[in-house]
Amino acid sequence: MTRRELIFLPGACSMLGQALASSEPQNLSFPLESIDGRLTSPDQFFVRDHFSEPELSIRTWRLKIEGRVSRPTELSFADLLESPTKKLEAVLECAGNRAGGSAVSNGLWEGAPLANLLQDTGVDRDAAMVVLYGGDSGRVMDTSPTLPYCQVVPLAKCMRPESLVAFKLNDRFLPRKNGFPARALFPGWYAMDSVKWLQRIVILGPHERASDFETSRMNEVYNRIVASNSGERKITRLSELLVKSAIAWPGDQSKLPAARHMIRGFAWTGSSRIRVVELSADGGRTWSPATLDHPAHSFSWIRWDFAWDAKPGEHVLMSRATDDAGRQQPLVRDPARKDGYELNFCAPVRCFVR
Amino acid sequence: MRALIAIAVFGRVLAAECEPSRLGEKETLARFQQLDQEAQAAFEQKQYAVAARHYREAACLVPKSARAFYGLGTAEAAAGNFPAAREALESADALLSGNVMPLTMLVRVNVAMKDIEKVKGVLRSAATRFPNNAELHSGLARFLAENQLLDLALAESLRFEQTGTSDAESAVALAALENTVGAYHDAIRTAGAVTNDPAAPDAIKASAAGVAGLSYESIGRRDEAIQQLKLAIQRAPAQENSYLALAFLYEKSKKFGDAVQVLEQARQRASETPAVLLALGNNLVWAEEYQRGEAVLNELLQKDSSIAEAYVRLSEAYRSTNRPDLEMQTLQKLARVKPDYPMVHVLTAQVMLRMDPVDYNGVLQELARAEKATPNDADVFYLRGKAYIAQNRLSEAITALKRAIELRPVDSGAYYQLGLTYRKLGRAELAREMLQRVEYLKQAPGAP
Repeated sequence: MTRRELIFLPGACSMLGQALASSEPQNLSFPLESIDGRLTSPDQFFVRDHFSEPELSIRTWRLKIEGRVSRPTELSFADLLESPTKKLEAVLECAGNRAGGSAVSNGLWEGAPLANLLQDTGVDRDAAMVVLYGGDSGRVMDTSPTLPYCQVVPLAKCMRPESLVAFKLNDRFLPRKNGFPARALFPGWYAMDSVKWLQRIVILGPHERASDFETSRMNEVYNRIVASNSGERKITRLSELLVKSAIAWPGDQSKLPAARHMIRGFAWTGSSRIRVVELSADGGRTWSPATLDHPAHSFSWIRWDFAWDAKPGEHVLMSRATDDAGRQQPLVRDPARKDGYELNFCAPVRCFVR
Repeated sequence: MRALIAIAVFGRVLAAECEPSRLGEKETLARFQQLDQEAQAAFEQKQYAVAARHYREAACLVPKSARAFYGLGTAEAAAGNFPAAREALESADALLSGNVMPLTMLVRVNVAMKDIEKVKGVLRSAATRFPNNAELHSGLARFLAENQLLDLALAESLRFEQTGTSDAESAVALAALENTVGAYHDAIRTAGAVTNDPAAPDAIKASAAGVAGLSYESIGRRDEAIQQLKLAIQRAPAQENSYLALAFLYEKSKKFGDAVQVLEQARQRASETPAVLLALGNNLVWAEEYQRGEAVLNELLQKDSSIAEAYVRLSEAYRSTNRPDLEMQTLQKLARVKPDYPMVHVLTAQVMLRMDPVDYNGVLQELARAEKATPNDADVFYLRGKAYIAQNRLSEAITALKRAIELRPVDSGAYYQLGLTYRKLGRAELAREMLQRVEYLKQAPGAP
């Protein structure tokens, strides 16, 4: 297995962790425990590159918008800065983030609404899909050609008010590793579609194929594979985040003194809002509600805590989130799933108390 | 077309205020010139409302006069009537679309109104209509930077740079903006072009090297950062900032001796500002040159007694040289100068507990002040527990230490003190339990 194939493996976000911090492409994640407050600081934001980071300059950077449009456009960075912008808080999660894993971050983003930019170009009425290209390139698989990183997103999602061409994170320009100078941002969706180092947008008609997407074989990753009883496999593209929570403290295998401890963590979901987070200290047999730190908002995560009177013994902690749409984290992984994405089941955290 | 729309829109507003004119063409022109002169005279005498009235009348007489609308806009802006100024300037801009003056004023008025989306709209219009007007874009960049609108200043600097007329000074300004907004690689490239420009003056090259140094540091390339800052000092030895920045990098690398050397140079060649003295005092203390550090910090406090960090460092010097009396006095001075300085009472209580003999009632009073400022600080209760133990007020010690544990359950210190207290009370089982927890916590990876 090549290193690139390892990176594309579901769950690799967490497996690689900081061990490869200095190598290219970068894959970084940081313990959730180290995050203070609601926002993840840029230096703790998870990174999951597919190819080497490109070195782009704000002087020469351009965003081309073309395809099924009446006025193909090329925007400079100055054009982007002087466009109407919007700020919103949104979580980004790696599609392969393991249950309880830290390949997830929450930032305050600022950028130009993608809908405005597309409308300015006069998108054709029959346009359906949008191909987004990054400035990074490479081979998705050993057998595929070197091509720019690209993803295909439905036009309807691009036209949503929350979808941005973002150039700021937490009121600072994007760090290079997070897509400097500009990236796509699709709040509520898994992070692979929020293409970093965005340079080109191509609008496709209803019957047009995204040739680079297919030739690069990017269409073969980031898919949900569900096996039926008959053994038939249904494959669909990943998009919206599933409801999920994670315990930030204590860590797995912690040794704690018998005392009252404040368990804390985060919870997030796709297009809805977190309604409740519950905590179990007995491996999921009984649940009690945790306290949410602030009112839940769409697209951002929420901090929660739970005062736990830890008695001597071995305990299995689990958190479980439910959103406004009634979706709840499952206790175990759906056995019909044959891929390694959307790992949102309740992760056990073992603690030894004396 | 834009002119027609502007006249139609603003014309309607004016129409309500304008009395119908019965003057002929010649008389209209004469009256217009008279109003224009009167308006200018009023403007020069800073009678802006009067000037606005004259210009308004002139605009009523000649609704296609860009001069009248521009004058009206500037007079209204000077009078602080920004919405009216904006309306008039938009009309002037529409009538005089080939001139940059109404646009420039519109940017200023919209900035004064803090209407950033409108500012952006005007800037976009300026970019479309005057893409190659270097003076316009550099002027806008300067104005926007002065008003702390750094993103937009950067955008205009980029537009200016694209006109191909950028000089070394503007390039340094662009590099500084790029560094400020976090475009570090760009800042390094832009500054590098200036430092390599043989025609650039030394002071400009020094600034460029300084910017490059800061950007290198921000991307974690400290050696190159140090090299650039040394270059900056070499090019302009009287610029204090380069010394401070270089000393800070040495400080971050824990090379306190090198930082001291740089700051001594700053004192000799540049200036003796409080910033230089504070940095020098700090680094002397960290370099364990306590006597010299104390002298510098005391000199600084004589010049400016409000610098909290100087008291903290001075107290650190006294602590390191085992002079608790002086340490306590310094912290007490700090508490007087900055009563809300974080942890000042806890720090003072800690010093008092190290003195011989210990004034336990004084310690408890100091901790009461600390609790008032930070009621959930575990240290307050931990120290209070220790003070009670020393006074043999054991049940009060237990209450305080339990509270410390509640606030910070994974800190072994409070368990240890609680164990000792239980032992003094003869409660051996509880004492053993607490001391076992201390051992357990020492091995535990779960502590935050």
